[in-house]
Amino acid sequence: MSEIILGSKMVQLIIALILVSTFLILGSTRLYSCVRAFGIQSFLLACVAGIVAYSTGKNDIYIVAVLTLVIKAAVIPYIFIYIIREIKVKREIELYVNVSPSLIIGGVLVVISYYLIRSINIISELSSFALSASMSLVSIGLFVMISRKKAIMQMLGILIMENGLFLGAISLTYGMPLLVELGIFFDVLIGVLIMGILIFRINRTFESIDTDMLKTLIG
Amino acid sequence: MIAQIALVLIQILTIIALAPLLSGIIKKIKAFFQIRKGPSIFQPYYDIAKLLQKDSVVSQNVSWLFHAAPIISFVAVLTAGLLIPIYITELPFGFAGDLIAVVYLFALARFFTALAALDAGSSFGGMGGSREMFVASLVEPALMLSIFAIALNVGSTNLGYISQTVSAMGFDAFSPYQLLAFVALFIIAIAETGRIPVDNPATHLELTMIHEAMILEYSGKQLAIVELVAMIKQLLVFSLLANIFFPWGIASGVSAMPIIIALLFYFAKLVVLGAVMAMVETSTAKWRLFRLPELLSISLMFSFLALVSFIIVKGG
Repeated sequence: MSEIILGSKMVQLIIALILVSTFLILGSTRLYSCVRAFGIQSFLLACVAGIVAYSTGKNDIYIVAVLTLVIKAAVIPYIFIYIIREIKVKREIELYVNVSPSLIIGGVLVVISYYLIRSINIISELSSFALSASMSLVSIGLFVMISRKKAIMQMLGILIMENGLFLGAISLTYGMPLLVELGIFFDVLIGVLIMGILIFRINRTFESIDTDMLKTLIG
Repeated sequence: MIAQIALVLIQILTIIALAPLLSGIIKKIKAFFQIRKGPSIFQPYYDIAKLLQKDSVVSQNVSWLFHAAPIISFVAVLTAGLLIPIYITELPFGFAGDLIAVVYLFALARFFTALAALDAGSSFGGMGGSREMFVASLVEPALMLSIFAIALNVGSTNLGYISQTVSAMGFDAFSPYQLLAFVALFIIAIAETGRIPVDNPATHLELTMIHEAMILEYSGKQLAIVELVAMIKQLLVFSLLANIFFPWGIASGVSAMPIIIALLFYFAKLVVLGAVMAMVETSTAKWRLFRLPELLSISLMFSFLALVSFIIVKGG
């Protein structure tokens, strides 16, 4: 019993750290530090999965945790850094919404997702915290996609949303069936690769990955 | 009664005695990270002793405010020091005020330093004063909110009571809201102590200075007091960090042995926090003044999140 309580305490702490890393992405205007914060977020997510696996004793979830660690915390950030280096993009992100307002909007999104989650009857305090964190990750990811100009940030935003969904799934149902998880990981990895190639093509056609430029016609 | 007076005296003496040492230690650790030798850790004491022996040179244009400001801020900061748990949770002044009093005593000290900076009529003073108030307006709400998150959990705004309760909780005290509040308060500590992303304490040569610009007109004994006030404030902000979030080892009753142990623990915590601060200072560059709202709104957001996550975890 005490182990599970310690587990849920630790999971809560790690979820708080995940929120911190999400706000680091919102608060930073450097591509590299955004990618680094995403890597940290995925690493923490793998920790959550590991703790859940330990406390439930299911071997599937260990595999999921290792996959998260390898794919999301190592391979995907590496692909990001490769893209940034290859297309020699300017390292500063341009924003539609400035840093301070977007932080405030992030905070408001957390509150909104808490109120949305509260209308569902949830049993324990852990799952309510984890669910509202996952909901806020999804909405903050969407906000990152809307408010950042670089195409790379659109990619990062969708990955944040995916992380949010993963957090919700792992903390609420203790993991989906392994086959489903494997499918999702494959999807994410292929998605990142396709988006990476797309960004290369955008860069070649428009000579910039600024999404503002995509509105102009090229004959 | 005598015990109470002794407690007050020990607390004041500890604060005044340790404040320059902490400054020296941070400078030494910073020098270590930058592969320099650095001044001795007792250098701030020598500086203050030297300044105290010198006469002040005062501009002809100043009013009484210029002379009164260092004393007022010294007293305000020391009074705040009596409201913050240093080595014992039964604060000698605990009946007189709480967290809010601490925040506004800091604000009083800052207000008078900024007024004195304007008083001499030099352009640097005005610049420093306006910048200091600009930073202060961002720091204050974040400081209040972040400690409120802890105060909500404990159910009191009395800092001594907070640190006693948190210390009694042991490992249960690790919680999301406490973590978020700690991150927020750490960023505030950087701003309050005038450390590198916000202000550079080591230079007079840049146009970026905030605190140094304000005290440019001071010299001699008054400068000694002003410098000491800055060091004491730094020590107190560190003590807030140490004894609200990691109050373990603090004495809860009046007896000799726990107090000595508590003092040792306190010193160790200060050195660790100082080392972390020196690392942050070495690894970051000074930010442009107009980017500071970004940093401080991150801190404000974290303290806000701390409150929200408290409500989610406890009230959900």
